[in-house]
Amino acid sequence: MAKAAEYLIGFFSIILRIGLMQTNLPKWLQSRNEVVTPLTSWERVEEGLALQDQHISPYSGDLFHETPLALRGLKIANYCPWGVSGFFLLIDIITMVFLRKVAVTFREHLLDDQNVNKETYSPKAESLLLTPKQLSWLPSVILAVHALNPFSIMTTLALSTGAITNLAILLAFYYLIAGNRLLCTLFISLATYQAFYPVVFLVPAGLQFYKNKRPQSSTKSYVSREAVTSYFETCSLCFVFLGLLLGASFLAEGSWEFLQSTYGFILSVPDLTPNTGVFWYFFTEMFDHFRTFFVCVFQLNAVVYTVPLAVKFTEKPVFLMYILLVLTAIFKSYPSYADAALYFSLLPLWKHTFSYLRNTLVVAGMFITCMVLAPILYHLWIFAGSANANFYFAITLTYSTAQIFLVTDILFAYLRREYDLYHGTEHKNADGTKAQIVLE
Amino acid sequence: MAPSAGYTSIPAFLCLIFVWATTASGTPKDIFTEELFIKPLSRGYVYSHFQFTTKWNASIHDSNTFRHYRLFPKALGEVLAKYGVQELHLSQTQGLWRHKFWGYPVHDAPPGAELWVWFKPTVKDIDRAWTELVNAVSGLFCSSLNFLDSKNTVVPQWSYRPQGTAAPGYSTFSYHVRYGALPREIVCTENLTPWKKLLPCDSKAGLSTLFNAFHFHDASYHSLGLHIRPVCADVDCTEEAIELSQSLSVVTDVISTSHTGTPNWSLRSLFGNHLASTCPVAAKSTIFVELTKNEDSHMYRLTPDPSSTEKVTRGPDQHTYAVYDVQSLMKSGRVLNIAATFRDPPVLLSVEPPPIHVHRYITGYGLDKGGISCLIYNNMVVNQSIIYLDVLPWFTRVFFNSLTVTNNGTRLPFKVHYVPGKDRSRPHQLELSFNLWPHSVTQVSFTFTRAFLKWTEYPPDANHGFYIDSATITAILATSRGYTATPQHSSCLESIMTDNSSRFPVRLHTESLLVSLPTPDFSMPYNVICLACTVVAIAFGSVHNLTTRRFEKLDPSAKKGILTKVKGFLSKLRSKKASPEKQTNNASHPEDTDTSDNQNELKNENSSAKSSS
Repeated sequence: MAKAAEYLIGFFSIILRIGLMQTNLPKWLQSRNEVVTPLTSWERVEEGLALQDQHISPYSGDLFHETPLALRGLKIANYCPWGVSGFFLLIDIITMVFLRKVAVTFREHLLDDQNVNKETYSPKAESLLLTPKQLSWLPSVILAVHALNPFSIMTTLALSTGAITNLAILLAFYYLIAGNRLLCTLFISLATYQAFYPVVFLVPAGLQFYKNKRPQSSTKSYVSREAVTSYFETCSLCFVFLGLLLGASFLAEGSWEFLQSTYGFILSVPDLTPNTGVFWYFFTEMFDHFRTFFVCVFQLNAVVYTVPLAVKFTEKPVFLMYILLVLTAIFKSYPSYADAALYFSLLPLWKHTFSYLRNTLVVAGMFITCMVLAPILYHLWIFAGSANANFYFAITLTYSTAQIFLVTDILFAYLRREYDLYHGTEHKNADGTKAQIVLE
Repeated sequence: MAPSAGYTSIPAFLCLIFVWATTASGTPKDIFTEELFIKPLSRGYVYSHFQFTTKWNASIHDSNTFRHYRLFPKALGEVLAKYGVQELHLSQTQGLWRHKFWGYPVHDAPPGAELWVWFKPTVKDIDRAWTELVNAVSGLFCSSLNFLDSKNTVVPQWSYRPQGTAAPGYSTFSYHVRYGALPREIVCTENLTPWKKLLPCDSKAGLSTLFNAFHFHDASYHSLGLHIRPVCADVDCTEEAIELSQSLSVVTDVISTSHTGTPNWSLRSLFGNHLASTCPVAAKSTIFVELTKNEDSHMYRLTPDPSSTEKVTRGPDQHTYAVYDVQSLMKSGRVLNIAATFRDPPVLLSVEPPPIHVHRYITGYGLDKGGISCLIYNNMVVNQSIIYLDVLPWFTRVFFNSLTVTNNGTRLPFKVHYVPGKDRSRPHQLELSFNLWPHSVTQVSFTFTRAFLKWTEYPPDANHGFYIDSATITAILATSRGYTATPQHSSCLESIMTDNSSRFPVRLHTESLLVSLPTPDFSMPYNVICLACTVVAIAFGSVHNLTTRRFEKLDPSAKKGILTKVKGFLSKLRSKKASPEKQTNNASHPEDTDTSDNQNELKNENSSAKSSS
């Protein structure tokens, strides 16, 4: 029954995307700067291919920012059935296959985790315990969310190469849960090679593979010699893959010029085209002599959350990876809806904590407002000339805030449920009155 | 001369000896000629071109050349020597030359300033030499040429080849050329003054006495040019020479500037003055008036009669010129005021488009994406191959894959040299070579996307927009219709009279373009910085809270609201205040009720403290 539903949803999702491809929507989305960024725009990939055909290095200009291997790999997109759209549809289908696999594996992972820790849970938390029956619909829910997720629909229609990075991250996420160190590090390095920020996923990967090696939770120390050796192994695996990828790029390109055009471009933020992030207007209005300092601060901000979160969620690397995925999607230098697409599709994995969410309505309202208003205010600024940059800036700020509210809410809900698991769902004072749970 | 010297004093004798020695040491090494070329254009416009040529029989490669100067300006010679210049071409122009109506000028120039330089092969660091040279030239001509940095300098591959002689030891490899243009540069009297100071007679005598800034800046188009190139000293080209050509072109709209509304013109009406002198150091002083169209239709009559009328066949076309030898005319002591009187009612010259003319414009709307289209008209019955050069600033990011050359919907094959731009350091350079079909319009088009600049990168009037350089089209024509330039070997207009070449190189500059860029709000950098940082702080604060704190059980009844806290604090304060007062002047204070209230509150507080403990 559940399986049939999954196929049905998958089929519906493909039909929906093919149907929308027949409209004018893709053409419009391809120029929407909330959906595509200078890093992920297909128009720029075509420019890179055209320059390469003329034997001009695509990296000698400032229009093309894909990695050398992506440039060569994306050439095949033109030979797909239905051309480039077909290629991105294929990417979407593979994404769906792995989303389903993630859901199935994650379901087992949740139940295993629960079984291991069951003894330590409070007996009063019986109602919180997950049952296989409850989770049996998880793959269908994930697929349904992905099928209707406007972010992932837009990403596919706009031919954003962010979809490819997303697939690499999803695969890394899948192999993290599945416990395949080799493939997980391979896909982390691939995602890092493409977008740089996924390098932070090494932390959850390191923790997870050490945790898998030593299943007895009682004797486990995360700073022991063995632990450090295990982290080191994971990291070196990833860096070996990354080194190979960069080496292959160098051999293909014949120079290191591409580093400046890809990672240099991501890190130093020279392109101030509006996007959904906090960088563009901030650095448009920044005073020149503070620019370097604030670029460092903002880039650090994108990855610094890894440290406190890794300390807090040492035992929960999967959740840690998810939260890092959301945080880097918010604070990367060129974010777009493509980044939101992946974490929204994965959001139902934490369905069991949703009852603890506090501001669902506010966040949902903010997201909808932003999605509706962003193109309108952009039009007013750029085409109609009746609004100015501040209007669009306000909407991107709201969008960032909405994402921040969402991620902190998920964090809260997860921690709050953990608390209830250990302390029971009923919280009473000594005198029998109802107690409040607060952060102290 | 020598015998008469015996009767004069000794110093005067020595002086005379010196003068005799310098003049007798052979022919002078430099020759200066001044010429004026007047061409009536269609619709009552008149084109006047002043040409001052100094030919210096010395090699530009000889280090001793720039030690001693006669007519060649020393200020310029020093600059040439210091930066290893082989060829230098500078133009400063106000207004647009309208090829379609006016044909070709002697020296084509884009609106604004344009500078292109060929450096000697001995110059090692050309980029540095260029940077220093533009600063020097900028100082010399009071212009903003110092803004020609790497952001708007290119190395043309096929256009802008050397104009002078090319022998072993001269640069011909395009690595040695630099081209830059400032389309926004405004040309005014402060540019004219240093330019005319380079003339041997300044504007004190000769044709340059006709310079009248008021009339020039009132004209539809005026252009100052300065061209230095190595040429051959003689016909056999055994010796080298340096040629400095200074030109000033003016196009006057005679009908609208005259009081009577007639197309009649004279030197006086064009320049506000008649000609009363020649430059004493000039070898020749000539005025040419092109009569080509007047031959058969006799639309106007020239007074006084010219010294001679020359018929010249250049390629397949015939040109007629009235020649005034000013030096011999001046001998009579009369002033010269050449005038053209039209028949009544006047018949104006009709528009005859030249072999090739162009029109370039911006396409698209809004401040997001845009495009540039250039229409190239070929009015000849033969194919014509051309070279198209377009330089776009870095902030209009060109999509190379959108480049098309079409003729009536058919895509034409083209050869391309493209250098993509780099943000804040290099412009986009597009050089194309293709064939124009006979009697056709060829369209070059491509799209670009506008960059968003930092707020400090915008000029003070940000919403005025940014200028894009003119594109140039270089071609070698087989016809001389509408052609006025001199043959390759000399810049003197006189050489046109003996021209027998069959190929006529032309360079056309298109319109410069104005493109608007999206602007940020310039008034609120602090607000933006604060707001963006606030959003980051929200995330940082929340994550910090959730990761560093633990969940704790709390009795809601024990938890004080902010109101009770404030109340408690106030009552505490009041009780503290009240108790010393009570002790000191108990009798004088009759507020019994108040103190009792305080006591009640104190009691309450005590009880609550007990319950919480």
